[in-house]
Amino acid sequence: MSVIFDKVSKQFPDGTLALDNLDLEFAKGEFVVFLGPSGSGKTTACRCLSGLEEITSGRILVDGVDVTPLPPRKRNMSMVFQNYALYPHKSVFENIAYPLRVRKLARGRIAEEVSRVAKLLQIEDYLDRRPRQLSGGQAQRVAVARALVWKPDICLMDEPLSNLDALLRLQTRTELKRLHRELGSTFVFVTHDQEEAMTLGTRIALLCYGRLVQFDVPRKIYHEPATRFVAEFIGRPAMNTLEGRLLEGVFHTDDTEIAAPGLLETDRAVVLGIRPERIVLHRAAGAGRVPFILDVAELVEPDTLLFVKSNGTSLVARATEDCSDIAPGDSVYLEFPPDALHLFDQSTGRRLS
Amino acid sequence: MNRAWRNFAIGVVLALIIISLTPYLWMFLASVKTRVDALAATPQWFFAPTLEHYRTVFVQKHYLPLVGNSIMVASGTTLLSLLVGTPAAYVFARHQFAGKEDLFFFFLTTRMAPAVSVVVPMFLLFGKLGLLDSLYAVILAHSSFNLSLVVWMMRSFFEEIPPEVDEAAQMDGNTRAGTFVRILLPMAAPGIAAATVLCFILSWNELLYAMILTAFESRTLTVGIPGLVTPHGTLWGQVAAVAIAATLPIVFFAFLVQKHLVRGLTFTAVKR
Repeated sequence: MSVIFDKVSKQFPDGTLALDNLDLEFAKGEFVVFLGPSGSGKTTACRCLSGLEEITSGRILVDGVDVTPLPPRKRNMSMVFQNYALYPHKSVFENIAYPLRVRKLARGRIAEEVSRVAKLLQIEDYLDRRPRQLSGGQAQRVAVARALVWKPDICLMDEPLSNLDALLRLQTRTELKRLHRELGSTFVFVTHDQEEAMTLGTRIALLCYGRLVQFDVPRKIYHEPATRFVAEFIGRPAMNTLEGRLLEGVFHTDDTEIAAPGLLETDRAVVLGIRPERIVLHRAAGAGRVPFILDVAELVEPDTLLFVKSNGTSLVARATEDCSDIAPGDSVYLEFPPDALHLFDQSTGRRLS
Repeated sequence: MNRAWRNFAIGVVLALIIISLTPYLWMFLASVKTRVDALAATPQWFFAPTLEHYRTVFVQKHYLPLVGNSIMVASGTTLLSLLVGTPAAYVFARHQFAGKEDLFFFFLTTRMAPAVSVVVPMFLLFGKLGLLDSLYAVILAHSSFNLSLVVWMMRSFFEEIPPEVDEAAQMDGNTRAGTFVRILLPMAAPGIAAATVLCFILSWNELLYAMILTAFESRTLTVGIPGLVTPHGTLWGQVAAVAIAATLPIVFFAFLVQKHLVRGLTFTAVKR
């Protein structure tokens, strides 16, 4: 099975272009994450796939079949909503059983399937309750159970974890990952949380202003960001980016020089990027080390985040060692390993290899 | 709340109950008193109760079919208003279309016009249609103003239901119509109960339309009462008897749906 977004655009009646020529293809069994800031079109992309939202132009193909004109009920997909959207007048059992009832399964089969999925999600004890008697985490499980019970082709999830508290979010995240592995079904997951995306996704589709910026495995998204936007969006703290010029293997800003050997020889305006954790911290000056003044040090056990400045340039470095000996105002010397440097075109933002 | 306040509050409630129930009690007494007792200069607290007025009005004057007419009209109006008004309210709550709010306001204006300004044209209209002195005419007339009530009430009930519930129902395999019938109507049941009670009571109590549009056969109970005002004086005992008979079904009906009514008027069943 495969899903193809073929030049899909969606314009809302108020004129907002939520999806702009989206091209995307993924296969059965994947856990695809739509990631992006708010307004990036990630939820719209998910809703267009479900059929709840009509697309303005383009096609969506599932297994080679154009599903664009089909209503949601004929697309063989289920959905978990951010607010769960359980039926408040039905018991938990009836909520989960409902998609099977609509499909007119035999009574015995329904009870069987519901108890199977309830066991999987550990909600067997709540089957007689009403949704309003459930905690957020329990309601969330019921919503997932309802979405999985009838074994749809694709299970869509629109920010299903954002209404949960922090600890529960982590647990549920782990469980979703386990569920995906055990069931082998196809998940499409919408989130604005990069950590969720990185941990859950087999592949991440990063969207910005309705366009697909990068679609790749989490590793590649992190280590080879396709644009400056991806580089700055992924990672916590974000990747450091400096605007300047590259001249004969040396990167110049107005007041800093960083050696960037073997990257590009031409003189051009570039953005240099380096992840905070790849910056090497030294206490003493030396070749290839750039002096900075420590501004703020934040202890994020077990690491330390060092916010440093030099004239107009500010950076953040993540040190794994003990930094209690350095105080704000002290000089530090930073080394930028050449293999850790990313270069982006200053005008287009694209990655320069 | 301390004890003194509590007692004071109970006192106020008791006073309110007495104030609102006294006229009803008075009416009941008038219906079981003889004419002489009822019109005595000093109120007669001790008297021999009689069912004479009930017998006269319902047996001799054949007012019993009027009860049936009233029930038919009120039920018919309620049914028709709900059948048309509930789907309309759903569309108003969920769909965007040009001129939506104007159309919605138009529904309200059907209640703004004074009844007298509409009833004569209606009389002529139903005359042409040959529906005068039929229950249909009264049902249609009552529905014309009850419809707006249903649409206005039910729209807010449907708007209380998160749209994701509709979407979930569609993802679960329903058509849009199926979603409405199988998921949204049951969820809006308290609202429907409240609208039903109000529609029924409004239609049951209505006098002007019913009086103008009916002659004899299809008179409702409310129309029957003015018939007891005769050139020889008002037959208070009989008026009271009819009034008691007219209010009992409403009281019974209100008790029946009381539970839903309270939930319907304070609708917060859905967690947002």
